[in-house]
Amino acid sequence: MRRALKEYHFDWMLHSTYDAASRLMAGTEKEYAHALRYIPYFSGMLDAVFGIGEPGRYFIKTCAEYLKNIVTARERGRKVAITSFCFSPVIFYAMDITPICLEVMTVFLTFTYRRGSAEFLDFCNEAGFTETSCSSQRGSLGAYLAGIGVDIDMVVTDTPGVCDTNANAFAFAAEWLDRPFFQLDMPPLLKGERYDRYHRDDYRALVAFLEEQTGTRLEAARLAEVLRELQKQDELIGELEEMGRIVPSPLPPAFTLLNYAARFLFAGMKPCTDMLQSMLTMARRNAERGVSGLAGGVERVRGFFCYIDHYTYNMRMWRMSEELGISLQGNILSRNWSIDAPHVKENHMEESAYSIDLTSLDSMIDSVAIMNSRMPMIKSIRGPFDAPDMWLEDTLSLARMYSADFVVYSGTPGCRNTWGMLKPFARETEKAGFPTHIMYSDAFDDRVQSWEATRARFEEFLKVRRILA
Amino acid sequence: MSVRLMRAVETLNNEFVQRWKEEGKKIVGYTCSYAPDEIFHAAGILPYRIRGHGADETTIGDTYFGPFICSLPKCMLQLAGTGAFGFLDGVVIVPGCDSMRRLDDCWRKAGEDIAGVVPQFFFHFAVPHKFAAYTVDWFEGEIRRLIEAVERHFDVRITEERLRDSIELYNRGRSLLEELERMRRLPAPPFTGAEALSVVIAGSAIPRDAYNELLEEFIAVHRAVPRGIEGRRRLMLVGSASDDTAFVRLIEGERALVVADNLCFGARFHNDRVDEGGRDPVRALAERYLRRSDCPRMYGDYRRRLEILVDTIRSASVDGVILQNIRFCDLHGAENGLFERDLEALGVPCMRIEREYGPLVETGRLKMRLDAFLERIDGQGRTA
Repeated sequence: MRRALKEYHFDWMLHSTYDAASRLMAGTEKEYAHALRYIPYFSGMLDAVFGIGEPGRYFIKTCAEYLKNIVTARERGRKVAITSFCFSPVIFYAMDITPICLEVMTVFLTFTYRRGSAEFLDFCNEAGFTETSCSSQRGSLGAYLAGIGVDIDMVVTDTPGVCDTNANAFAFAAEWLDRPFFQLDMPPLLKGERYDRYHRDDYRALVAFLEEQTGTRLEAARLAEVLRELQKQDELIGELEEMGRIVPSPLPPAFTLLNYAARFLFAGMKPCTDMLQSMLTMARRNAERGVSGLAGGVERVRGFFCYIDHYTYNMRMWRMSEELGISLQGNILSRNWSIDAPHVKENHMEESAYSIDLTSLDSMIDSVAIMNSRMPMIKSIRGPFDAPDMWLEDTLSLARMYSADFVVYSGTPGCRNTWGMLKPFARETEKAGFPTHIMYSDAFDDRVQSWEATRARFEEFLKVRRILA
Repeated sequence: MSVRLMRAVETLNNEFVQRWKEEGKKIVGYTCSYAPDEIFHAAGILPYRIRGHGADETTIGDTYFGPFICSLPKCMLQLAGTGAFGFLDGVVIVPGCDSMRRLDDCWRKAGEDIAGVVPQFFFHFAVPHKFAAYTVDWFEGEIRRLIEAVERHFDVRITEERLRDSIELYNRGRSLLEELERMRRLPAPPFTGAEALSVVIAGSAIPRDAYNELLEEFIAVHRAVPRGIEGRRRLMLVGSASDDTAFVRLIEGERALVVADNLCFGARFHNDRVDEGGRDPVRALAERYLRRSDCPRMYGDYRRRLEILVDTIRSASVDGVILQNIRFCDLHGAENGLFERDLEALGVPCMRIEREYGPLVETGRLKMRLDAFLERIDGQGRTA
């Protein structure tokens, strides 16, 4: 890593950037346009987000708040935990622990800086970590390994048995930083008493670990407060997802990102609720007027990203969708497995979903345990891809429900988990009638394949398959 | 006798397998050392560890797996696709890591294109990633699920008595392997590291009673060797699954001797026992197979694994450690990074290698690096 980069405190650098960005729209339009000239590399991303309207402003504000929590955690007496995107942060918030989601931090970097997360990625290799591992954790992990981030108190993940590459990154981080480590382990199947019991036993061990680390007990009232907020959020997400079925979709493409970003950052907390509420207000307005959420107003096709989005510099994936008239019908991250979610009801998947029982501390812990086992990726990429409730079934039911014209895989070369069965998977989605495009790029690292090449191949796919004539 | 062991390593469908099949008995293959052999033995079935040995291309593997996947499961699938495992009546896939987990999906999908490559008994056997009372409970349940499936499919009964007998037999084998390890660590070992690895691997492809006899004989013969191998640098081999004895021969050359290893095909899983005195043999199996946690797939247990390495390095007077991983094997690759940091700090020279599983196509590059490593050790003197 360049010495100059080590001069900047990683979290403060991001916090300052997003904090300043969150105040950009406070002035006049002229002032805003003028300010953008001083941030040539960040302006494209901000313009794309602010262009959405109020939800975009909430998004930037929420990001700034999340980063502020991180940099002020110590002075507020909070413990700090490194964790993963597919780990629901509700338990951290209920126990006054500040989570740092590595994948989210990586996206902050890739969205913001032209150089992306390259130097932090590479520092992980300098530290002894493998270059073939997933870039989503490595992108920001490098900063913490280099000692330029905030002090970490513990490392918590829930991906063993789902994505061993991901779990390995957290285990490595814990050892390198010499911090306590806890893993929630995932058996290969989802449903049934034996699996439920395991999830619950494991989650209780997690609670005991967190209590030991913080020196405090998990309080029922506090957990209930967080879960009540989560229930509100689930309702809002349900309504947003329902609206995604309308043709043309009233949801702007970037709503897929905002939807899961809100939950990854602040599930069970008010900033998430506010952001979702703002998104819903806008979506309702579009739906009432019968207009597409696309800036151009014309929905040409509908695409379903079966895994994750493409996060490199300047939100170009979403901007491309706007340009090409593609309504994004979500991805594996944007789906919520609350029992009331539209796709759960539509496809009679209630047993695969979760519900929140606020009766007692025990029932709440059980609820969170089952909810956590239904988090993105954790739910559907644990066992054989073609097993019940797993990736193929989820993808096909969602692609059908949202009238997708095609399916796209975007991931990272480090994703052994999906690349291990992607070809048979794509064969099945094709067989089911969905033209399927596999992006060979790295969603977090343009050095693997430039965005220009990624876009060119994607457009070629749309042309060759006569999806976008 | 040694020749029979060596042949069993070099030939998948070895003489023991052929005779077993001629007698009309069943064979079940498994992919990972966390699968309890005793279950199959107690059912009168030959447990057979599936390897990728002998695959000289991965065209079939590449048809189903993506490009960023470890070459071990690709080689296994390649062999399966060409019918090399036609003698297997069943397969147990253990999700040791992401790539190996996906062998389940890819092998089944290959079965849609190539008739007869998927045995009727095809079982996904899960193993938790940590050791705790509730994970042992769960794993015990998984072993019972496997027992039920084996009994149902093969129409056999795995009685408690037979299971206890099998445990005793396999424990006897582990004691013999431990003796083999002790001999390997002598100041002048009577056999090379390549031979030692061959002997251990053979155990995964030979009926255990016959194997124990061969092993006893091997030990007796080599105990009588008047003068062992001296004057070589003593190395330890650590990391990803490695069943390639040619690779060990390459490492050893004329100047080195692999006197210890920590490989799942090697010594890693043999220096403990299943409790024979407990009330429930299934519980005892669950505890033994999960407790060791010697594979980096068991997250958060690095310190214990480091201690095992340090103890071995000291007891075997190791001069240097080769930390190897198959490309895309992040579990071993990352742990090797930590081992390198910690062992070098203790004064143990380490060399990290990333390689492909399968035919030694990188001999020149590896040889050059190995020579440089030995020169470094020579220059440094024994430090461990």
